[in-house]
Amino acid sequence: MALKGLDIFKLTPKTNCKDCGNPTCMAFAMKVAQGAVELDKCPHMSEEAKAQLGDATAPPMKKFTIGAGDGVCALGGETVLFRHDKTFVSKNLYAINVCEGSYDEKLPEIQKVDYDRLGERMYVELLNLQFTGDAGKYAELVGKAQGAGRCLILECQDAAAARAALEICAASKPLLNGANAGNCAEFSALAKEFGVALGVSGASLDELYDTAAQLEKLGNKELVLDVGSASVKDAFAAAVQIRRAALRDNDRVFGYPSLINLAKLAPGDEYLQTALASLFTLKYGSIIVMEKMTYAQALPLYGLRQNIYTDPQKPMKVEPGIYPLNGADADALCVTTVDFALTYFVVSGELERSGVPLNLLISDAGGYSVLTAWAAGKLSASSIAKFIGEFEIENKISNRTLVIPGKVAVLKGEIEEKLPGWTVVVAPNEAVELVKFFKEYKAG
Amino acid sequence: MGLFDRVFNGADQMYRKAESEYEKTVAELGADAPLMMPDTAYFMACIYAYQARKITKLGDLREALDEIKAKMTHEQRTGDVFSSGIASVMAAEVIECCKYAGGRSPYEGTKYHGHFSDAEVRELGVPLVTQDIPGFVVIIDPAPSDEDAAALIKGYQNRGIFVFLIGGVIDQAIRMKIQMGFPVRVVPVGEDIWAVGHIISLVVRAAMIFGAVAPGDWDAFNEYSFHRIFAFVNVFPPLRDMTVACGAGAIAKGFPVITNVVENVWKVPKTIIIQENVADFIETSLEARDIKIKITDIDIPVAFSTAFEGEIIRKKDTRVDINGARVDCFEWVRTKEAHEIEDHSITLDGPDIEEFEPGATMGVGIMVDVAGKNMQSDFEPVFERKFHNFLNCVEGVMHTGQRDMIRVRVSNDAFDAGFRMKHIGEVLYAKVKSEYDTVVDKCQVTIVTDPAKLKELRAEANKSYDKRDMRLRSMTDENVEVFYSCILCQSFSPSHVCVVTPERLGLCGAVSWLDAKATNELDANGPCQVVTKKLLLDENIGSWEDVNEAVTQYSHGALERVTLYSILEDPMTSCGCFECICGIEPASNGVTIVNREHTGITPLGMTFSEMASMTGGGVQTPGFMGHGKHFIASKKFLKAEGGVARIVWMPKALKDIVRDRLNETARELYGIDDFCSMVADEGVSEDPETLLEFLSEKGHPVLAMEPLL
Amino acid sequence: MAFKAAQQKFTAKINETTVGTGERAISLGGENAFPFYSFDAPVENSPKIGIEIHDSGHYAGVPGMDAYYAGADTLAETARRAAAVEGVDFLAVSFDGAHPDSGDRSVEDCVEAIKEIADAVDIPIVIEGSKSVDKDAKLLDKISEALSGRNILVMSAREENYKSIAASAGLAYSQKISAESAVDINLAKQLNVLISQMGVKSENTVMNLGSAAAGYGFEYVASTIDRVKAAALAQNDTMLQMPIVTPVGAEAWTVKEAIVSEEDFPEWGPMEIRGINMEVSTAAACLAAGSNAVILRHPESVKAVSRLVKALI
Repeated sequence: MALKGLDIFKLTPKTNCKDCGNPTCMAFAMKVAQGAVELDKCPHMSEEAKAQLGDATAPPMKKFTIGAGDGVCALGGETVLFRHDKTFVSKNLYAINVCEGSYDEKLPEIQKVDYDRLGERMYVELLNLQFTGDAGKYAELVGKAQGAGRCLILECQDAAAARAALEICAASKPLLNGANAGNCAEFSALAKEFGVALGVSGASLDELYDTAAQLEKLGNKELVLDVGSASVKDAFAAAVQIRRAALRDNDRVFGYPSLINLAKLAPGDEYLQTALASLFTLKYGSIIVMEKMTYAQALPLYGLRQNIYTDPQKPMKVEPGIYPLNGADADALCVTTVDFALTYFVVSGELERSGVPLNLLISDAGGYSVLTAWAAGKLSASSIAKFIGEFEIENKISNRTLVIPGKVAVLKGEIEEKLPGWTVVVAPNEAVELVKFFKEYKAG
Repeated sequence: MGLFDRVFNGADQMYRKAESEYEKTVAELGADAPLMMPDTAYFMACIYAYQARKITKLGDLREALDEIKAKMTHEQRTGDVFSSGIASVMAAEVIECCKYAGGRSPYEGTKYHGHFSDAEVRELGVPLVTQDIPGFVVIIDPAPSDEDAAALIKGYQNRGIFVFLIGGVIDQAIRMKIQMGFPVRVVPVGEDIWAVGHIISLVVRAAMIFGAVAPGDWDAFNEYSFHRIFAFVNVFPPLRDMTVACGAGAIAKGFPVITNVVENVWKVPKTIIIQENVADFIETSLEARDIKIKITDIDIPVAFSTAFEGEIIRKKDTRVDINGARVDCFEWVRTKEAHEIEDHSITLDGPDIEEFEPGATMGVGIMVDVAGKNMQSDFEPVFERKFHNFLNCVEGVMHTGQRDMIRVRVSNDAFDAGFRMKHIGEVLYAKVKSEYDTVVDKCQVTIVTDPAKLKELRAEANKSYDKRDMRLRSMTDENVEVFYSCILCQSFSPSHVCVVTPERLGLCGAVSWLDAKATNELDANGPCQVVTKKLLLDENIGSWEDVNEAVTQYSHGALERVTLYSILEDPMTSCGCFECICGIEPASNGVTIVNREHTGITPLGMTFSEMASMTGGGVQTPGFMGHGKHFIASKKFLKAEGGVARIVWMPKALKDIVRDRLNETARELYGIDDFCSMVADEGVSEDPETLLEFLSEKGHPVLAMEPLL
Repeated sequence: MAFKAAQQKFTAKINETTVGTGERAISLGGENAFPFYSFDAPVENSPKIGIEIHDSGHYAGVPGMDAYYAGADTLAETARRAAAVEGVDFLAVSFDGAHPDSGDRSVEDCVEAIKEIADAVDIPIVIEGSKSVDKDAKLLDKISEALSGRNILVMSAREENYKSIAASAGLAYSQKISAESAVDINLAKQLNVLISQMGVKSENTVMNLGSAAAGYGFEYVASTIDRVKAAALAQNDTMLQMPIVTPVGAEAWTVKEAIVSEEDFPEWGPMEIRGINMEVSTAAACLAAGSNAVILRHPESVKAVSRLVKALI
């Protein structure tokens, strides 16, 4: 159980000195409890208090970053097994597996998929550089890959080759995925020497556990647990049991992010890799290595990831503005709904299917659904009138008919009062009825 | 001869007839002749149901008859009457089925239907189970006149009631050219009283098919038909003893008998009803069997849809302005006894709209009288508040306010389309009957527009409102038996559960204890469930074992304990929709409250939305709690921490809303006058230091209280 | 120091519901652990995969589907082809052409069609209805009657029409029924309670909690299924222990990613491949959350999801 704000507050100096940037100690304590602020932001906290809180506020799963500069990626820090309990913290990352022979061919394909979805950049964050036996060629590959602008994973259990690779790319903070029961002392030292996170694997879950424990003892604080590639079933079992041990059973040895290599688990099977990537997005994959990432795979996989990692209390939002559909011009009918992403997607999808040119007007409704926004006062006659004014809709669009969601039919009169010259039309309650509604509306 | 003896006598007659039919048929076809009722998997269904006996050949009936005879006991007890009644129906089935022995088709080419196939049982059974057919009637023997018979049958048809006819009433229907047949839901079953065997065969098969009742389970069949099959019997003279015996069988199955025969019949409430006026048969029958006819259409000349909820009717478009601020107006729901109400009666007392000048102000009093076995006067305000939504859905009608402060405008267009005062009654009647069908059996609407009468009635209505308010104010958590849970917001906050009590309304501010109670009674599986409070753990903090159990159950295990009166110890969780949030202000040992509308910062160093983000989502956050505005003046607010005296800061606007009641509470609890003047607001302070100064200056009682932390 | 794997076995379990008859009958549910957690308890019945056909014709305009169903002029033949896809456990028939706004095919025609389909295939049949509440009440009644004895699963018992579907399909004709609600645990539970109050046994009921394509609010689906399974297993909530059947195809094949043409979005590549990936991803996510069966459209999706299930069991 995470520490409550009040327990933290009791240990603050209670001076409201504002040195932490918060107006009061209470505000600070509440933010620490939420994980929004680090405890050491308070310069006046006693050592005793810090020790007392440090343990209790220490996360059950380590959180750290790999990569450097623009390519820095966060891993770990999860506190719950199910997203309805609390928001998941670090979204799973995608890596594409490359080796010296395939790099030149794969890189342009990897770079092609790079787009924005609801303000989030969707691209392959990592390159998994697979060592195939030739240290010289591996170093060459690492050298080339360093310029690709992606964070690197060195999948290499050969200490010499790994050292050579690290000498080239240590500054970009790659993940060195190479430790196992046999080489752990050596790899521990390597990772420490170059200051990189260390990936560890084991022939069994027990072996992985022991090796991780050993590495921790040796002082490696940033580990990634490779679930192995013996079989899909074992990999899934490992991913679940690792996460569960850490978060439910407070077993800190397994309190690290995981790595799943689908290029090994389902080689050559694009659809199965898509299926498995989806599975591991829900159930506890931190880094997912794929053979490739086409648009066809990326569209569902990144969409799913964005869904799963949303904050249940902070819904996804779309930007307020005018969204012309079906070739709408200034004369086209205006339709409005809220900025909640799900509502926007569903409504715009149905409007597109109607084929009727429409100007979809999205106002800031706090990212809530229609009824919730209305109940919270975020969608009202004044909010719509304000939007029409601020976005100078009357200068941009000549049509003066506004279609509002059926669920807020109650706003019709008030909107007409606030927007002289406009006619307000009430749409059906459900989005699925929109196609018929607009087809009929257009017909007369 | 008493009623019991008539039953026993009729049973004996039926048995003798059955035995002689049996013997006659055996003599004709032999005991080995097959006896298979067509198109059924349930053999002779009555005998299969009550004796678990599978009749396949004629000779099998011998033992069945013996068992029937054995059930016709003659002690003067109700049990014997029911047992003889059911046995009579089985005997009736024997008489009818003998006609089918040897594969004969006795009713082919006749006007009678006879046996029902399993397909027909299912076809009728499905709508009976779903109540799309609200029930069925068996009409036995001729009505006083052909016209009476036709009116009765058509009356039932219009109400969706399925009609079975036995005896002379069939010829009356034919003479009156009433279309008959299974598809039109009027079936001429047979000529003689033993045709009831076919109807009960249908009833017991429905119990086996839809209720999975096991053959041989005598009580279960009767129980199933009592609870699930809404049937009743209408009997006309001569009412022979055999009919009386079958009637006893019907009553055993829960089907009341309504007759116009007065001699040698004994009234039994809800069971045997004498109704001499045939024109009233339908209403009497439906009431006896608790059948409510669903309202689907609202009979008004303009459209009715939620799409019109937001319509505003401007002065120039107004035909008539019903304005409680200027003349006498009111809306008043009254609970009455069933006999005081004529269902669907809509009365206008006074001039209608057309007698007023266009745009004129009009006084209107609307009285909606309801009756129902489950109706409680506590629901009256719940219904009244919904009138606003109901009337706003009418195209061309705008409604605001409630009680005697209503304002209703009817537009010129609506008036031109024919909208008049009685249509307000139609809307309210239809909506009250359909939305509250679980509690309202009968409803009538009286609309008064006569100014002289209005004054008097308004005063009376006001007395009733006052009485309700008194009751509401006198209700405490201690003097009610149960609380209610509310999980309306779980779609946003999966683990949040509100426990609603008389002194603590839902944190959204919209669900009072009475609302929750009404919601529960109206929709037993809905979002509000009964929470018992038998196992008190700690009165001071408001903790009960059964409340904890309920919270565990309704949060699906996410929460295990809540207290209702403490902000520090397992405080109630908050969804996202609370009106206000309160949080501990440590410098003063007090509590600040901020409402959703207030966007500025509080002395806690946090705004409403910052506090909300760490409190919402159904997690317990000791020291912080979402709540409704009206909880602030409750004696249970912060009770465990010392009550409302802990309040040190509130935005001005919120203070204005709660001032009167909060002052009253503080006076009662601590004898402090004008407590609100001691509570700081944004005009005085937005930080802990100035807050403390203000409190010291005012001598706020919190400064003398125990530290909170 | 070895890893101490703490198992999570529940005493409560998901109901086991059988659909279909004979050798090809399938059992849904029965597990007492979270999906694919075979390290906690054996997976009683592997999740099942259905293939969906439509009375209005197969989902056209997708080259691979067009080719697969080419020449199948009757619904019976379409059904036969669908049933022959590798990895298919059951056939789902959608009567979208019976919706009053899109074809309004008569109940009698639908009954004729389903009889022919039933003669053509031996795998279990799931009926998806027309998506019109009023039409379904009549349609599903007649189909349940026509397929008496086939132990079909009738989807689409919704709040508005559950009474008639429960009475008819559930009670009169002893078929299995599916309670369909919006993505919300309490609405789902309420509908299950109402259906059980009609007298339909809970082992004869499954749930359709609704779905959403990956990227389109799938978090609600995932969290709702998570919570339903947790309540069913950990809380022993008998009104949430029904197996979950999730139609995925209809969601996946209607989002922009799966329908816009390659001409309009050349960098996205062929539409069919996008659609399959969308369908496979959504289905895998549903199964990962806890669906006991998914209903898919594309034969390639069926095969891929079947490979996934095999790999995990």
